[in-house]
Amino acid sequence: MEWRKTGKKLISALLPPAFWLGAWQLCAFLVDLHVRGRGNELLLPYPATVLSALVRLAGTPAFWGTVLATLGRILAGMVLGTALGGLLAALTFLSHWADRLLSPAIRVIRATPVVSFILLILLWTGRDRVPVVISALMVLPVIWGNLSRGLGETDPQLLEMARAYRFSAFQTVKLIYLPSLRPYFLSAVTTAMGLAWKSGVAAEVLCLPRPSVGTQIYNAKLYLEVPDLFAWTVVVVALSLVLERLLRTLLRSRKGGVSHE
Amino acid sequence: MSEIRLDHVSFRYGPKEILSDFSLTLPGSGVTVLRGPSGCGKTTLLRLLAGLERPASGRITGVSPGETAFLFQENRLLPWRTVEQHLTDVLPRDRRREAEGWLALTELTGEENTYPDALSGGMERRLALARCLALGGALYLLDEPFAGVDPQRAARIMEGLKRLPVPVLLTSHESNILSLAHRVVDLEGPPLRLLGEIKEP
Repeated sequence: MEWRKTGKKLISALLPPAFWLGAWQLCAFLVDLHVRGRGNELLLPYPATVLSALVRLAGTPAFWGTVLATLGRILAGMVLGTALGGLLAALTFLSHWADRLLSPAIRVIRATPVVSFILLILLWTGRDRVPVVISALMVLPVIWGNLSRGLGETDPQLLEMARAYRFSAFQTVKLIYLPSLRPYFLSAVTTAMGLAWKSGVAAEVLCLPRPSVGTQIYNAKLYLEVPDLFAWTVVVVALSLVLERLLRTLLRSRKGGVSHE
Repeated sequence: MSEIRLDHVSFRYGPKEILSDFSLTLPGSGVTVLRGPSGCGKTTLLRLLAGLERPASGRITGVSPGETAFLFQENRLLPWRTVEQHLTDVLPRDRRREAEGWLALTELTGEENTYPDALSGGMERRLALARCLALGGALYLLDEPFAGVDPQRAARIMEGLKRLPVPVLLTSHESNILSLAHRVVDLEGPPLRLLGEIKEP
């Protein structure tokens, strides 16, 4: 019974990626057929070609330094954006005036095209800092929006209970607000993680800090090394998905928002 | 404790008049049960005494809002806190040992480390009651404390409430609870109206 269960689970987990890999293979084959072997690599390389490019890249010592540098920038942006977003959510929740003043500004940030920010911030700061600032700027409104909604939707019955049962402000935050915010925070950070990667790498492509995945993507495009372009993209997608999964398990592992004493 | 008095109290929820020039004197000791059809204004009366609502006119004397312990009609438990934590959360640090006694009174001993989602409906109600009792004060206001609690157990807990040194005011429909009370006050409404008072049944 156990065997069959694991087998079934494995199949259901592997089937969708296998399907899409097959679709990719088929499309590459059709492109290959169309151009009759004259450089389908330039348009759509086969999965195997991308894999071999990935293996070749991963074998070079510079690869890991590049990945780590980009990872560091994205994570720094994530932490910065989350901290600021949380702070602003608390502020706009507590003060009507802060809300009137800050909320429109945050909405403007959310609506501004990311390239405008990238180019502006490139003018203002060094190229190494741009990806961090951009990631933070993309993360901030998502965290702020979700946490603000969560704060507003905190169960009024529980808050009345806290008042009637003479909870201190600290207790109300620790026992009511924070645990209630947990699902909002979880959905915010997983969405924000994807955004941080997308915008951060875009900033790297435009600002070319060294070393960085973005610079490698730019170079691959410049020299028409399309398999490399695919390989680096695979790296970014994989990192983004792994980190998202990691965050999810980290935040889900405990009940509610506070540790059990 | 001295007696609790409501003098010509009026209160409305939107257009609905719940209390209109209502007066009542309640004893400052023992267990008093308020009986009346649902929606007659019993809950509002308790919420006024707990200071959760302000009367539009009239006054309430003999009790101050900061010194009551009010059991809400809903359990209002925290899914992320254990049974024991629900009690220690409302107890000052130096009185946390009292949690044990309140859990014994509400027959929840042994469930200290259980989370509310693993409790039955009746157990959840008893946990809400235990937390309210642990909070303590000069007057207990219990809104339907025995909803969903089986009658024999409710009767045993009622005996426990009668031994408390603090007056208890509770609402209930169960006849066995009424028969155990020191006093029963009959109400009707809305607007809330006093039908009669049975003393020492």
